[in-house]
Amino acid sequence: MRFGRLILALALVVAVAATAAAAGARVHATRSVTTITFWHAYATNAASPELQRLTKIVIPRFEKLNPSIKVVQVPFDYNSLQQKLTTSVAGGTLPDVIRSDIAWVPQYAKLGAFAQLDKAMPDFKSLAGKTYPGSLATNFYKGHYYGLPLDTNTRVEMYNTAALASAGITSPPRTFADLRADAPKLKAKGIYLFADSGTGGWNVLPWIWSGGGSLTNSTYTKATGYLNSPKTVAAVQLLVDLYKAGAIPSLMTGDQGAVGTEDGLATAKYATILDGPWMFPIFRSAYPNFHLQTALVPAGPGGSVSVVGGEDIVMTQSSKHKQAAEQFIRFMLSPWAQTQMAHAGQMPVRTDVSKQLTKINSYYAIFEKQLQTARPRTPSPNWPQIDTILGNAVATAMKSGNTKAALDSAAQQIDGLLR
Amino acid sequence: MLWAYAFAAPGFVLFALVILYPVARAFQISLYNWSIVPGSASTWLGLHNYGRALHDPIFWRSLVNTGFYMAVTTPAQIVLGLGAAVLLDARIPARGLFRALFYLPVVTSWVVVSLLFRYLFMTDGGLVNWLTGQHVDWLGGRWTALATISILGVWKGIGWSMVIFLAALQGVPVELKEAAIVDGAGPWARFRAVSLPAIRPVVAFVTIMLVIGGFNVFTSVFLITGGGPLDETQVLLTYMYRQAFTFLDFGYGASLSFILTLIVFVLSLAQLRLFRRPGEGTA
Amino acid sequence: MTAIVLPRAQRVVALRLVLLLAGAAVMVLPFAWMLATSFKPDSLVLQVPPQLIPHHPTVANYTGAWSSNDFGRYFLNSVIVALGTTVAAVLLSAMMAYSFARFVYPGRTLLFGLLLVGLMVPTMMLLVPQFLLAKQLLLLNSLWGLVVFYTGGNLALNTFLLRNFFVDIPRELEEAMVVDGAGPWKRFWRLILPLSRPALATVAIFTFLGSWDEFVWALTIINDPSKRTLPIAIALFQGQHATSWGLVFAASVIAVVPVIAVFAIFQRQFVSGLATGALKG
Repeated sequence: MRFGRLILALALVVAVAATAAAAGARVHATRSVTTITFWHAYATNAASPELQRLTKIVIPRFEKLNPSIKVVQVPFDYNSLQQKLTTSVAGGTLPDVIRSDIAWVPQYAKLGAFAQLDKAMPDFKSLAGKTYPGSLATNFYKGHYYGLPLDTNTRVEMYNTAALASAGITSPPRTFADLRADAPKLKAKGIYLFADSGTGGWNVLPWIWSGGGSLTNSTYTKATGYLNSPKTVAAVQLLVDLYKAGAIPSLMTGDQGAVGTEDGLATAKYATILDGPWMFPIFRSAYPNFHLQTALVPAGPGGSVSVVGGEDIVMTQSSKHKQAAEQFIRFMLSPWAQTQMAHAGQMPVRTDVSKQLTKINSYYAIFEKQLQTARPRTPSPNWPQIDTILGNAVATAMKSGNTKAALDSAAQQIDGLLR
Repeated sequence: MLWAYAFAAPGFVLFALVILYPVARAFQISLYNWSIVPGSASTWLGLHNYGRALHDPIFWRSLVNTGFYMAVTTPAQIVLGLGAAVLLDARIPARGLFRALFYLPVVTSWVVVSLLFRYLFMTDGGLVNWLTGQHVDWLGGRWTALATISILGVWKGIGWSMVIFLAALQGVPVELKEAAIVDGAGPWARFRAVSLPAIRPVVAFVTIMLVIGGFNVFTSVFLITGGGPLDETQVLLTYMYRQAFTFLDFGYGASLSFILTLIVFVLSLAQLRLFRRPGEGTA
Repeated sequence: MTAIVLPRAQRVVALRLVLLLAGAAVMVLPFAWMLATSFKPDSLVLQVPPQLIPHHPTVANYTGAWSSNDFGRYFLNSVIVALGTTVAAVLLSAMMAYSFARFVYPGRTLLFGLLLVGLMVPTMMLLVPQFLLAKQLLLLNSLWGLVVFYTGGNLALNTFLLRNFFVDIPRELEEAMVVDGAGPWKRFWRLILPLSRPALATVAIFTFLGSWDEFVWALTIINDPSKRTLPIAIALFQGQHATSWGLVFAASVIAVVPVIAVFAIFQRQFVSGLATGALKG
């Protein structure tokens, strides 16, 4: 019967193909070579040719210098990597080395998934000493370091000169006072003073810290008295006041139907935003006629303090090739490798390569300056919950105007999560 | 009747292994403060997670939102899908092409269409506001955002129910339709008297599937509003995803999914009862 | 102007066509936008308002997407997995549906009920238990792992749908075969399946689409890039801060082609009168 034969034929094709695929996978290398697996989210797009640089230049050089080690790199898209890590922890199928977002490190350190690098690597101290303190601190959890910084970034103020000029403003806002003064002038021209895409830690901590406030105490054990301190409340109040005055768009409180920060800045709907170094190639590609300018984060009573972003490189506790993994980590932190990845938009974490940096991309200068005072977010395994509470509190404050009440309530909830 | 078991066995064994066993394990997870690290001890909580859900205002809000989405998208997809199937169940030119075009949204990736709908419903510069001349802040408010997501759900799902209804309409005996024409019945009367009763079990099936699907809405909400602003558009699965995969609280996430399952189960039983033909036995 | 009066039958056809054209336009518009953007030079930003006709059409995105990162291998993996799943799922669920539709035996209601329960549990929550199970069954990091779990996941829906159709097939036809001495397998293979072509085609279309588009399970159990499937490949074009939309859309269009092909092939089974013609005996 035709039907039956069709099914048989299809089944045969599938069986043959699957066997061929399986057989192909069973071919092993016969030399004694240690193979380590490296998971990352380096991208392949016009804005950041990270993956090509890794696979065509960086890894080949590592393998040349270390002929007994082979690196198998596995790219993931950024949004999926964390989910992949979670299921792999549950299944015990983690790789040897991971390029982890800095915000994930405490969570997985608590789970025992990442190895304590300060104990495992004999030269940890000297390596760590060469990196930015803020970036290094993102690896710290309960007395140990669970990784080394790999690439870093921070947020600076990006502004549209034309938008400012149309309101008669000749220099970008550099202080909280400037912001308050510029807002009504810009509003009169139908331009928002400042826009951001949310109210989480990444968004509001620069304001809180520059305002002289903080989310927690210095040992990250208490939020009450800090998140709702007068200085923090005043800093958040700045945002609340600006929002109420119509100087900040609803995008910041979660309205996904509002114009995005990138489009808004380039088309002069927004005068200023806070963003990172990746915006330069993005703006060049998307809005070639827009000349992007930068300045430090507006300074308040606490100075100009921004938030540290980036990725750390970690070794998994379950890795069976720890020596080789450490060798790779060492290499990725070398000046040569760090400079190579800088060409692909990855800001180095080493303080001693800054001279080459500005030769590679002149715009790195402002980020380097901002990084000197930038701070990491709270290194807690419960950071996702804390971030959500903080974000909801600030958005509620902006919408309702009850800043103190919102921050009081948030501080109390966060206390419970910091224990 | 060994044959009966022989026919059911291969499929059912696979099903039991790959679905039922994990369901049981997931239920077990919901009873613990489950630690994802293999080999480490998890704290027994009993039904504590379920109690926690019942006291969680965001859980209730997400339940209402999910219910709204389901109640809006299910009838719309049935009516429009059936309508499309009826239109296509005829000898018209380019019939196959039309069918493929109606099925196209079903196969287009959720990522692409969610993004597109976000752009279509933008407050300034969105096509919808431009066409209607209004300045509605679609994605900024709870019900307008849910409406947007529901429109996307309906648009994407019409082709699915259309395909099933088409297959069902093929099964309506031609003689019955011809007899109705001889009796002088117009097309609408023929449809109501002949086709509709004949495809009743299929309508029941589609309704149940759409209700289940409606309760399981996830990707569109995740990509369009992310559950925001301020958790106003959370649906059960986006809330569950955040609990399980962002907060790593798998026990609580599992309990949320079982509450969802229970609700869907009860609704499905109710529907089966509703659609049962008089005199029909169970299942 | 003289009014053109069509005979009634033609008026009905014309009305159908008008409605269908309007409906099809609404259905197709987003896909048309996707198609148009895929032929524009790759950009990191989407144009708003969208243009439907590209000014300088180019196929660079298609060549770029296909030549990136083993795209062809991911495509082949998806084909193998989707075909395997479709064949296995259709066969196993047809067998189960036949058992539920034609036989009465103790436990039938229970089995059917369990099948429905499987349909109602959100698959996302089964991710971790299934992952642990796949590890125990040594199915990790393999295309077989995908086929086995996809098939299992499709059984409930397919069986439910097919059972409805099988129940409607008149018993007299089968009884005639019994008189001729045909056993259940022969009746299943020679009578039930051919008569259920529209239903089987429906189930095949949905199963193929489901396994072709599945992302989360494929992400979870496959570690070896050479065994990845297409949805993962397309996701890779999304960067952390920006996405190559031209590439994403071109890749999505490439990914849609086999699904539409499967639909086109199988929907020929939806020919009015074929099933009923056979029923007339």
